[in-house]
Parts: sequence; structure tokens; C-alpha cells
Amino acid sequence: MATNMYRVGDYVYVETTPNSPYLIRRIEELNKNQTGNVEAKVMCFYRRRDLPNPLVQLADKHQPALEEERTSPTQASAGANSGNSSASNNSNNNNNTNNNNNASAGDAEKSESLTSKQRYQIKHRELFLSRQVESIPATQIRGKCSVTLLNETESLQSYLNKDDTFFYCLVFDPNQKTLLADKGEIRVGSRYQCDIPAKLKDTATDERKLEELESLVWTPEHSLTDRKIDQFLVVSRSIGTFARALDCSSSVKQPSLHMSAAAASRDITLFHAMDILHKHEYSIEEAMSSLVPSTGPVLCRDEIEDWSASEANLFEEALDKYGKDFNDIRQDFLPWKTLKQIIEYYYMWKTTDRYVQQKRVKAVEAELKLKQVYIPQYNSGKGNGSASKSSNAAAGIYNGTTNGGADLSNNGKPCESCGTTKSSQWNSFSNGHMPSRLCQSCWDYWRKYGSMKSAHKGDTNDVAEAKKKAALSASPALTASAVVDLNDDDKVSDLSNRQLHRCSIVNCGKEFKLKTHLARHYAQAHGIAISSGSPRPIMKTRTAFYLHTNPMTRVARIICRSIVKPKKAARQSAYAINALLVKQEFTNRISGKSQAEIKKLLLLKPKDRGSVTKIANRLGAPGSGPHEWLVLTPKDKMPQPVSVSFPKPPKAADGSLVYERVPNKTPDVVALPVTTDKELSIIPTQATSTIRKRAHDEHQLNGTEVTIVASGPPAKRPNKDPMPSHCPSPEQFAAMMAASGQPLSRHHLNGKQKIAQMARGGNGRKQVISWMDAPDDVYFRATDVHKKTRKILSAVDLRRAARKPWRTLPIKSMANEPTSKPIESQIVILD
Amino acid sequence: MQSHSKKRVCYYYDSDIGNYYYGQGHPMKPHRIRMTHNLLLNYGLYRKMEIYRPHKATADEMTKFHSDEYVRFLRSIRPDNMTEYNKQMQRFNVGEDCPVFDGLYEFCQLSAGGSVAAAVKLNKQASEICINWGGGLHHAKKSEASGFCYVNDIVLGILELLKYHQRVLYIDIDVHHGDGVEEAFYTTDRVMTVSFHKYGEYFPGTGDLRDIGAGKGKYYAVNIPLRDGMDDEAYESIFVPIISKVMETFQPAAVVLQCGADSLTGDRLGCFNLTVKGHGKCVEFVKKYNLPFLMVGGGGYTIRNVSRCWTYETSVALAVEIANELPYNDYFEYFGPDFKLHISPSNMTNQNTSEYLEKIKNRLFENLRMLPHAPGVQIQAIPEDAINDESDDEDKVDKDERLPQSDKDKRIVPENEYSDSEDEGEGGRRDNRAYKGQRKRPRLDKDNSSINNSSNKTSSETSSDIKDEKEKPEPADGEDTSSTTAANNNSSSNNSNANSNNKSDSDASTPAGGSSSTTASKGAKENNI
Repeated sequence: MATNMYRVGDYVYVETTPNSPYLIRRIEELNKNQTGNVEAKVMCFYRRRDLPNPLVQLADKHQPALEEERTSPTQASAGANSGNSSASNNSNNNNNTNNNNNASAGDAEKSESLTSKQRYQIKHRELFLSRQVESIPATQIRGKCSVTLLNETESLQSYLNKDDTFFYCLVFDPNQKTLLADKGEIRVGSRYQCDIPAKLKDTATDERKLEELESLVWTPEHSLTDRKIDQFLVVSRSIGTFARALDCSSSVKQPSLHMSAAAASRDITLFHAMDILHKHEYSIEEAMSSLVPSTGPVLCRDEIEDWSASEANLFEEALDKYGKDFNDIRQDFLPWKTLKQIIEYYYMWKTTDRYVQQKRVKAVEAELKLKQVYIPQYNSGKGNGSASKSSNAAAGIYNGTTNGGADLSNNGKPCESCGTTKSSQWNSFSNGHMPSRLCQSCWDYWRKYGSMKSAHKGDTNDVAEAKKKAALSASPALTASAVVDLNDDDKVSDLSNRQLHRCSIVNCGKEFKLKTHLARHYAQAHGIAISSGSPRPIMKTRTAFYLHTNPMTRVARIICRSIVKPKKAARQSAYAINALLVKQEFTNRISGKSQAEIKKLLLLKPKDRGSVTKIANRLGAPGSGPHEWLVLTPKDKMPQPVSVSFPKPPKAADGSLVYERVPNKTPDVVALPVTTDKELSIIPTQATSTIRKRAHDEHQLNGTEVTIVASGPPAKRPNKDPMPSHCPSPEQFAAMMAASGQPLSRHHLNGKQKIAQMARGGNGRKQVISWMDAPDDVYFRATDVHKKTRKILSAVDLRRAARKPWRTLPIKSMANEPTSKPIESQIVILD
Repeated sequence: MQSHSKKRVCYYYDSDIGNYYYGQGHPMKPHRIRMTHNLLLNYGLYRKMEIYRPHKATADEMTKFHSDEYVRFLRSIRPDNMTEYNKQMQRFNVGEDCPVFDGLYEFCQLSAGGSVAAAVKLNKQASEICINWGGGLHHAKKSEASGFCYVNDIVLGILELLKYHQRVLYIDIDVHHGDGVEEAFYTTDRVMTVSFHKYGEYFPGTGDLRDIGAGKGKYYAVNIPLRDGMDDEAYESIFVPIISKVMETFQPAAVVLQCGADSLTGDRLGCFNLTVKGHGKCVEFVKKYNLPFLMVGGGGYTIRNVSRCWTYETSVALAVEIANELPYNDYFEYFGPDFKLHISPSNMTNQNTSEYLEKIKNRLFENLRMLPHAPGVQIQAIPEDAINDESDDEDKVDKDERLPQSDKDKRIVPENEYSDSEDEGEGGRRDNRAYKGQRKRPRLDKDNSSINNSSNKTSSETSSDIKDEKEKPEPADGEDTSSTTAANNNSSSNNSNANSNNKSDSDASTPAGGSSSTTASKGAKENNI
């Protein structure tokens, strides 16, 4: 199991063609593509046989150095450099020779003990790292190996003794065709080292003043116990909660006590408390009184609390557009914030529920990136039948056991490499011109190490020499076969077949590395939403924007007032301004104007409404006597309210008030057709809270058929409350709202209770729902029915209704109305 | 494990440091320092240490190491005037890895200011451990930015420490090689740099086993090249013996530990497999030497784990145990899904075989053996009446103890207060603080953990090796220099003197200990004989 589990970072054999040696690669990434196949991004290692010839010679120069004495890897690389004019790192020689005095002697002994056969085989274990990355299907992976940077303490023999182990010391650049040592350098010289100060006399005291270098913020040297400090922290938090209750801007954002308390418990309050404590020399009393100065309790707010909901929206929008380029975000979306504020906000924003959705998107993307993959053992034996039948294949595998007779027809040749005549399997092997065959073990060796196990009969020369020969005479020598047919350039070019995603729109054809980038490009440049397999929403669901009016626009508004009709446009948001016409008109009218004139236009002209004193004098002109409307109505003639909305509850026998449970809704008022004798509440206060209730709730509540049309635009933000079970019931919610002094209808919408709360989940962790998810502003959209109803009402009634929205209104002449439609209450959420 | 003595800990932090931003997609996130800070507060560690807000290091302070032009460049470059500085940006390697961001210079000032202030604090002996998580930017070169580092606060801190400490040890457990610090002190014998790092196709490419320093600083750079997948056990198996050996041979007067957290498992850039515990063990081990100790931050690119790690290491410095359950804080959601302090290693394979580590270790021991003893020690004349009782209690030495008492004592004993200690035959080094008589000796605490025990043998074995080795280089002058010892203020003569003593006492099989002053006086005594 473990052997077939491939992880990122593993070194693997990769099979591209069935008859050539495996490629050796390191897995950098494992990605699942859309079809479900796994693709591996791999880093390439090259064998000696893959290098172009001149470089092989350089490598050979390096190789004997490795074997005989380890002194000169840098010399070799310097040699390589001289050939390739790349940066050299000669300075290392100093360091190396240092060590070699004692080290190389031992190494030389070791390496001399290597037989010529070992020396030959060691070359098959040497690889060359390239920084080239390619993509392969994971199914081509054929097993694991290990590649390590050769360390001088290790003997080369340790590599020979273990199967599937390779080493490297040089880096091959297939584009530049260079070999370099994979080594940085420590430079020596006055430009790199620092001047060491002399040690001062022990009696000398440091002239530096610590006060200039640091300022103390907290010290543990005080008389307070831990408990006292904890208590003080709790006090500071409660003061913070109270401060939020007093602060109007906070109470809008945090309509509940829970939320205020959660906000007051953020670390900034605690840090401030600690600072205060330190400032007042750890006197809790003094610190406490400084928390509540005469100007009101101290309020510490961090960025996440400071930002309004619309700023938050802008930020998210900007993040979507620009990514995390906070400079651009600041410039184009939030110019009134400092960069530091935005950064702080960003890191805190990541802890909120709003980030959760984005995180999910990320998680799905990450799912495509695998950490490990299971690749079943590739059984080459199974493929034998077909492979042997296709005798044309350069490397057919002959199964010696099944068709032993036929096997003899293959000339009965001994193994090309080791000369044995017995093997469980034979593999045909073509070295250039002569067909020959290899026994199983030599075949494996060939696949893994890219060469014959032992040097060719009689050919005890180094591979390099054989290669030279091959280059000269194209002799069919064994080793040459490895080189023949493989054009260096081909090798290099087919390694760079990275997959790119190209835009399919005509005349565009831009290329992107990631599919998601392509999708974003589609959405932004061409306005097409293409599902890229990623659930990241491409189209915007929210519209928050920041309109920047430049001077020319303002001029246009002024000059073309007749076309723009700003007052009309302001009143009717649906009124379409003909931008083209405005443009045309603007260019016409502006053409003759000079710079100064335009500037003059931009100046704000105050409207002449006459002097205030004049108006005041006119209003206060004597003679007309006391106006009728100024005379007070006697108390008994004052209109009595039809009903008191919160009448005192009846008294019990003992004089205490008896509270009845307040019915939480009166939907029948809304739902039933309007009749003359029924009263209609235009703004059904409590009913609003039920408007988006699910139908079955209604059933349960009053058993009558209720038709509530929940129309209007969709909610701005989907309810992301992770713990609906912890939401307060409508009653609780109403109570909270009352406590917060807010009109109930404003915040309790759509049946979703958005409210911060501290709840303990099953795992004992606190869940904090941010006030960022607090509800938005609301307005009431009147339908025709409403408008008609309004007209019926007298002005006085309307005004009264405006002042006392909870009052039910008497509708007098509704009987004449043909309509019996229920009034549709539509709530529109302001963006 | 954290039962050792409580120390006075100073912690440097500026609330602004978290709000610098390297740029989109850049892995370096200074905000991790703020996350650590908030964790410290909510764990209640904040109230147990002295918290300082560092000053902003001045250009003057920076030029103690960096070149004037480079600092001038850093001070003037901003994102909006970048285009004017194209040439210089290339020259100073500012651009890609080290981008120009808003407040770049201030960020450098705060990071360097913290480390410098901490070093001065240690110099004034106003603290025993100083922590600056905003520091540790170990790649910055004299006039070149590198690897997300612009100003090398570590070098500045060490330079400050060198004013009052003869020898300073720098240890680097970042996954990357501490090349900036190594280069800065490559040719001095007063700073030894020890770096444990991944080597091979990895940034910055330096840190070969063969890089050992140059000139006077030869053998004073120690590099431990490691391969992917180092786990806690393997790390400890190489960290403990090497550091013990370094402490023994180099005898620093102060230690700087760079706690780069990118050697943790699951780091965005790292490739080791350490847990917070394994990482913290290094801090714990170094702390036991009771030397003036400066801890700085460094790498670390999976920020939730960085803040975990540094919080835990602060608790180690304070010797306070903290719960595995993370307290609620502003960044609590980052630590999901488990919300625990400690992390578990992944199942990645450790490519460092014990064989490989053993070989590296042996090679480094060989190098350390080449160290001349007590580099540049200034020696005062030893009063004749110094108590000299080196011979009496050889059998008291517990052979299983990590360093025999003697070995610890030899480092310093002011006024010979540990009169029952044995003499150390090996080196007549003295700690420079010996005659200052103020600082505690760098002895290990008695309650050595298993870490130490395991390392006992290696260190004591090799220390006896060292003896043999040492005799080789200067056997001849032992005789004549020994005559001058008592009056001579030359360190090397003292060494050779010790060596000659050693020779004559060759029957003393256990590495004997004793204060350096007693060693010296012993030499004096023998001269008299």
C-alpha cells in the first residue's frame, strides 16, 4: 500500500515509451483535472545519457574527481562554466581545500577500492537536476526511487548498495545547455563582512540609554494578583459594552447586547486595559476611573468594528476584483481608509462568516490539488501477450515460459548484457541495428538506470569514450545506442509542453496558467459566465459601488440640466437619462467655452432666497392677531386614541400588575380582505416580522389560510447563520429589539434572525456571529392599493399615522372600493 | 520539562508591525507577529514578562553593519517612486522576493530596533532572555536584500552583544540557511554561526557542510545540511549533540537563537516535518545553558502554525506551562478545525537516514576539534592563593551525567565558590565573565531531560577525543609557554599550558573539570614545582 502511494515530493520513475529507460522525476504537485484523471507536475532529472555530448565530457571531468579525490567539484563546475560562460563560484575553492586536507585522504582510499565495474555503474546513478517542470499523467508513474544531493560524507558505494538510489551534484539547464554546481557562495571581503567592535573594558558602561531604545508597556513587577488582573479585564469589557450602548453608531451595528458584549471583548479592549493599568502604576482603582472619564466611558474599537456594512461590501467587492492588492483596493474603493487599516481589517475579516464562503471555494480548489495518490502496481507481465505478438515493436517482451520454442527462434542469443542464457522472461532490445535481447534483471537495470549492467564485452572503456566513438563513427556499440536516435533538442522541447488555457474568443486568444484565471478573464473581458468547474461565483450578486464624480461630469450636469432633469431623476430612480444626448449636447455647449468659464460653472452658486430677517419679519408681522391654529385645544376635546397600544395591564388583587402574554402577531389584520367595519393597519408593525415566514409556521400559528406574497428582490446576503438552532425565537428577538430601543420592524426581516450571539456549539467552542451580518436598511414600498388607501385617509389621519406608526387607522369609505385584494406588503432592501 | 528556573524575560513588540504587507501572493506576512501577540495576551503570558515597545532603529544604527548607500536606498524607496530607482533596485536585489512595499523602511526599523534594544538590555544585564519575534531576518546582506529580508537585525544585535561579550553563539533553526549572518561573521572567531537547514535545490543555496568559515573565522561557521522530512526525533538527535559540543568547545558568553518557524510541518515554503514541540525543544535546550539569551523570529509561512510555535516558545522561555486548548482571541478562527496549540506531524518520509545524520555529525565534530581553544580570551593574572583541589574527588563524578559537574564548572567559577569541583584537564579556557564575577555560570540544570542523557555519551566521548587532537597541533611549545602562564595575559599560551598539563595528567581518565581559574593556577603551581 505504502509503496504505491505517491506523495508530493516523492521521486518517481516515469514511463513514456515502453522500450526506453524510465525518466526520473520529482513530484511537485498532483492535480485532479476535470475528467477526474490525475496529473502530476514534476521536476525533471536527467541522466548522463540525456545530456548533450560536450556536457557529458564536462560531467566526466567532474566524475573522476568524485571518484579519485573529492577535491574538485568546484573545479569541475568552473570547467563547465568556462565552457558555458556562466557565473562561477570559484571562491568556494578556499573552503574546500580547507577540508580536503583531512577529508580527502580518507575519501581517496575509499574510492580507490572501487572496482572498474563499480565505477562504471556509479555513472548510472548520477543524475542532473534541472529546474524544468513538466506535466505528466499520473498513470505513467512506475515506481519510487530516491534522489539525494551527494554529500561528501557519503561514499558512492552506499548508492550502489541500495537499489533505486540516485545522487546528483550538478544542475543541468536544458535551455542554456549548461552544467552548474548547485551551490551558493559565502563571499569574503570587506564588502561582505562586518567590522567587529572590540569588546569594551568590563568597567566601561554602556553609554546608550535604554529609555531611548525602548519604552516599557508592561512589567510583571507589581502587587496585583492574577485574579485581580482578570477582574479588571472583565470590568473593562463591561465598560466597553456600556460604551457601545451609549454610542449611537455602535447601537445601529450591534442591535443586541450580545453583539455589543462580543465587540467589547475583542483583544483591543484588553490591550487597552493592560496599558491603562500600566499607566496608572497598577492601581486598579485609578485605572478604573480613567476608563470612565467625565466625557463618558472609553470605547476601543478595532477595524472590523469600525467599518460600516457598506464599507465592508465595498471591501469584498474590491477583493473580488483586485485580489489582495490592498494598494489598488485603497485607491479605487476605499480612499478614506489608510493602508494599515485595510490590512488589519483584512486579517480580521478572514475570521468572519463572510470569509467562510470564500474559504469553501478555496477548499474546493484545494481538493483538486492532491496530497497523495494511489497508483496500482503497473504489471508489465500482463501486457506480455500483446507486446510479444506485436513483433514490430522495438521492445517486444518474449515470455520464455509460454513460448519457449518460439523463443529459440530469436536466435537463442544470450543476454546482450550479462551473457546468460536463462531467464524467466526475455525482452527484445534493439541497439541501433542489431536486434538482441536482455534477460529480466538486465532489462530492469536498463529501464531504471538507463544503461547495461556491465560494460559491453571487451569494452572496458568508460562510457564517455564509447560515446565519443559513437559520435565519430556511429558504431553500433551498446552505449552508443542509448545516444543514437535522441536528438537533444527534441528531448528538451518535449519537456516543455506545459498546458495552457487559451481564451477561445476570436481575436483574443490570451493564455492563462490556471483555468480560474481564464474564467475570470471571460467574465471580465467578454462578459461571459463560464462554469470552470470552480464554484466561485463569477457574476456579482451584490452591487455596492463608489461613484467618483469628476469635474467634467459635474459641468455636464450643470450645462445639460434641461436634458438630465436632475430633480426628476432623483425622484424617479427608474427615469432613464439619455446619456448619448447629454454627451452630444455637452460637447455642443462646451465647445465655445473657455477654461475660466468652465471653472466658473463649477463654482457653487448660492441660491438667492432673500434674507432670513426679511422672512422672519414678514412672518412675525403684527396685526393679523393670534392665529386660530395657535390656540390650544382644551383637554377634553382632544382626540382620544382609539386604543392604547400599551395599556397598563389590569391590577391583581394584591395591587401588582398582571401581565398577559403578548400575542406576537396579528396576521389576520393583514391577510383578510379589507372591509368597511374592519380596521386596516397600513404599516402592520408586527406583521412585518411574519412576512417572509414560511407557510407552515403560519398554519401552526393561527390555523387560518394565509396568503402572503413574499415578493420583492432577493435577500442581499444569503443567511449564512451556521447555527440556526441557536437563533432566538421571534419573541426573544422582539424582546431584544425592545431592549435595544429600536423599532421592531427595522431589523427583523425575512424570518432570518441576524444577530450576533455567543453560543456554545457541541464541541464546546464559542461561535460568534459578527455584526457584519447585521440587517440592512429598509424602506417600505407602497403599492397602488396602499396609495389608494392613503388617498382615502384625511390629511390629519395620515399625519397622525406618521407620528404613531403603531396606531390602527379607521378606514371609512373602503366599501365602495371594488378591490378585495389583500394588500401586498413589499419590503425592499436598500442597497 | 519546563521545571527549570524562572527567568526575567523581556519581550519586544510594536503594535504597528502586524500591519505591514509585502504584497499580493507574497508568503511573508508580518501579521503573524500580531497573531502571536494576541495569543500571548489571551494565554496570560503577556502579564508575566516585561513588554517593551522598541524604538525605530536609526539609519546610523543600521550602518553598523549595512553599507551607507544601501540604507540610504532603503530609506528613500517607496512604491510610488520605484521607477526612479530601477538600477539601484537591481543592485540591491530589491524587487521580486524582496518587494518594495508601503512602510518598508519603518518595518525594517521596528524589526532592527527590537533586536538592538534587546541586545543592549542583555548587555546591561537587565534581563536574562529577550524575545523579538519581529526580528530574525537572517538573509539580509551587507548591501543587499535577500529572501524577504532587508535589514539584518540579528547581525546588528550580535554586534551590540559583542561589545560586552567576548564570544557570541548564533544558532539558526530556520529551514533556510542563515546565510546573511554567516557571511557577516565569516571571518571572525568571536561569533560562531550554527545553522540547521535544508540543503540541495533550496534557497539560498549556501550552507554546505564544507563551508566552515575563512581566515580567523575558519571553523567558526558550522553548517548542518539536511534533507526533506526532518522529524522531531531526527532533529533532536542532531541538534543536541552538536549544540552541546559547540557550547563545550566555543564557550559562548551569549547566545542568539533564530527561531524561524518554517521548519515546522506543513509550512508553505518549508519541507521539514517538525512539530511545535520539537521546535520548542531547541529553545528549551539552549535555554538550559543559562547564558544571556536573545530569541528572534524569522521565517514561517503558514501563519497559524507560526503563531502557535512562537507562543509556545515564549511559554518555554517563561517556564510556564500553557494549555493545549487555545484561548479565544481575535484570530481564533484561524486555528480551526481543532483549535489546539500543538500540531501533529505529517506522514512524509524522512529522507535523512540516521546513518546520514551520524556522518554529518562526525564530520562536524572533526571540524570543531580543530578549534583553538578559547579564542581571543583575555586573561588576568590568577592570584596565587586560588584554591586548588583538583585531585581529590575524581570518583565523585557521575559518569552518566551529561557533563560532569566539573565540565560545567570549568566554564567559570567566580571566586572559586565551587571548591569541590574537579579540574578540567582539557582546556584552560576561561569564560570572559569569570572575572566579571556577575553572571551565573553556564551550567546545565541538574534536571537534565532525556535529551541530555542521550547526548551525554557522545559529548563526553568526543571531548576525550578532543584532548588527543589538541595535543597534536602545538605539543612543542607547551613547555616554554607554560612558564609564562601565570603572568601572561595571552590566551593561547594558557591553552597550551593546559594541554601540557593534560599530558602530564594523562592518567586522569575522566574528563576532569574545574574552574578555569583553578586550571590556570594549577599550571602556575606546576611551574613552581
